[in-house]
Amino acid sequence: MKKISKLASLFPAVAILAITALVLALSTWKLVDARSVQAAGDPIVVIVNSSNPIDNLSMAELKKLFLSERSRWDTGKAVAPVMLAAGAPERTSFLKTVCGMTDADLGKYFLQAAFTGKSATPPKDVGSAAALKAFVAGSAGAIGFVKAADLPSGDTSVKAVKVDGAAAGDAGYKLQM
Amino acid sequence: MRRAFSPPALRLFGQIGLVLCIALPFSAHAQQGPDSAQDDSNQKLLQRINELETKVKQLEEKQAPPAAPVAAAPAPAAPPPQPPAEVDIPVVNEVAPRLKLNVFGDVGAQGFDGIPSSFEFGSLDLFMRARLSDKVSVLGEVLFIAASDNSIEADVERLFLQYRQSDYFAASIGRFHTAIGYYNTAFNKGEFLETTTDRPFIYAFDDQGGVLPMQDVGVSVTGKVPSGKLDLNYIVEVSNGRGWGVDAEPAQNSQDANTSKAINGGLFIRPEKFSGLQLGFSLRHDNLTIPAPAVHETIATAYAVYVNSKYEILNEAILVRHTEPVAGSVFNTSAFYSQFSRAFGKFRPYFRYQYFNAPGNDPVYLFAGPNAYSPLTVTTFAGRINGPTAGVRWDFTEHSALKLQYDRFDQRDLDTENGLTSQIAFTF
Repeated sequence: MKKISKLASLFPAVAILAITALVLALSTWKLVDARSVQAAGDPIVVIVNSSNPIDNLSMAELKKLFLSERSRWDTGKAVAPVMLAAGAPERTSFLKTVCGMTDADLGKYFLQAAFTGKSATPPKDVGSAAALKAFVAGSAGAIGFVKAADLPSGDTSVKAVKVDGAAAGDAGYKLQM
Repeated sequence: MRRAFSPPALRLFGQIGLVLCIALPFSAHAQQGPDSAQDDSNQKLLQRINELETKVKQLEEKQAPPAAPVAAAPAPAAPPPQPPAEVDIPVVNEVAPRLKLNVFGDVGAQGFDGIPSSFEFGSLDLFMRARLSDKVSVLGEVLFIAASDNSIEADVERLFLQYRQSDYFAASIGRFHTAIGYYNTAFNKGEFLETTTDRPFIYAFDDQGGVLPMQDVGVSVTGKVPSGKLDLNYIVEVSNGRGWGVDAEPAQNSQDANTSKAINGGLFIRPEKFSGLQLGFSLRHDNLTIPAPAVHETIATAYAVYVNSKYEILNEAILVRHTEPVAGSVFNTSAFYSQFSRAFGKFRPYFRYQYFNAPGNDPVYLFAGPNAYSPLTVTTFAGRINGPTAGVRWDFTEHSALKLQYDRFDQRDLDTENGLTSQIAFTF
């Protein structure tokens, strides 16, 4: 009898939880986002400003640069990472491959970083590959990435860097869509 | 008996103060330097890019023909793209404080054995930060929380100004979360960021009956140590230390009871080879002199955590030692917790086991306030408390989560407690 009484005292919490869960489950039902359908296999090229002496970055270094764990280049310039806006296939692939994150994870990461008092700045978002390249070309500390198709071989406005010693298109190049 | 501030600590405190005094004017000067100019240049470039994109869209719409022309004239060759020139930055009053505000909140319901189940206003946390220059930022946090008497109390959790010279040196002055172990600086309030609905016993807030000093007022210096792939980091804090006694505010916000400062130091590594792994320890010493007799407090922690977007594995062990130098008495409090969770899409089941054991006659805990950590039947964190916690978190949107948690606590000389908590935590 005592146990029944104890269980009864928990009833409001259980009822609230059940109702809330049902309402929220129904409200968050959604269709597959068409943007998640992406071309597979295209290389992603990491680009920096032409004045940046860096030629090669490891995957671990890339992660630190984009997650604001490293704030300065060896030249002393402030690191300014830039990405296409959320939903772009190359962004989704890059975050997954380099940072092991989704866009939601990235947002939470920077929220938590700020909350813990770290001076972390999330990458800037731009709307197109052309805008991204223009930003990198005009900012000495900038770093970004684009699809290989968005960086024609004659485009010298920015500098492509190798990743783990491999250039985009090389065998074993890790940054693929 | 008050103990004079030890010479090494005094020198450290003086050096930190000196660095701050020197660094701040430099930082103001740095607003006119190339790095600040670069930031501003970035902003202007972004703005310019957005404008150009809008214009391109407008032109495309205007030029879109209603039908395909029979013979279109060849378009003039577009000039090759030119990189935008570096912008000359006016150097006066270009860097203004830019406030960023996040609000954290949580509400829910809970029921424990022998206590009426209740809806619960958890907390409302206003979290503010602003960059005052390229290297100087400020962080403030105001918390509204329900007290054990059903009133809602306002509390300034944090307020500090930080100067960040580089990745290797950042100094903060003000009121901050004490860097004891891992959990306190990683989470504190803002339940949305926490996987569980509450904190481990050992990290219960000191103004709610917890045994550790959770906030300090003083100076904190942090940074990396050049260590290659080991990624070694340090932290040193010099502060007023904790206040204790009947109705004492746990953090000595404006008046230290003695000239002896609390010193906290820690090291941690995040090996590049094991992304997500963090191993560290911290050691804190404080002299508590009022009310007499004096008590020396030493807090040692060690932790191993592994966190990525899928897994969260937290393990911490803590030893708190209080000694009465006159009587020669020693009181040890030991605690540990292990927490494991794994994400399955938007769901994250979790499990935690925790152990806490404090001597009932510890001179410092005798003055602890009533326990408002959760509706346990104990009035203070004294004696042994241990048990498992299991639950699930569901992130039903990017900025809100629902948690359901079951707790079972064994307490020395008291009945075992069972509890069920549901919580909705959010941020906006």
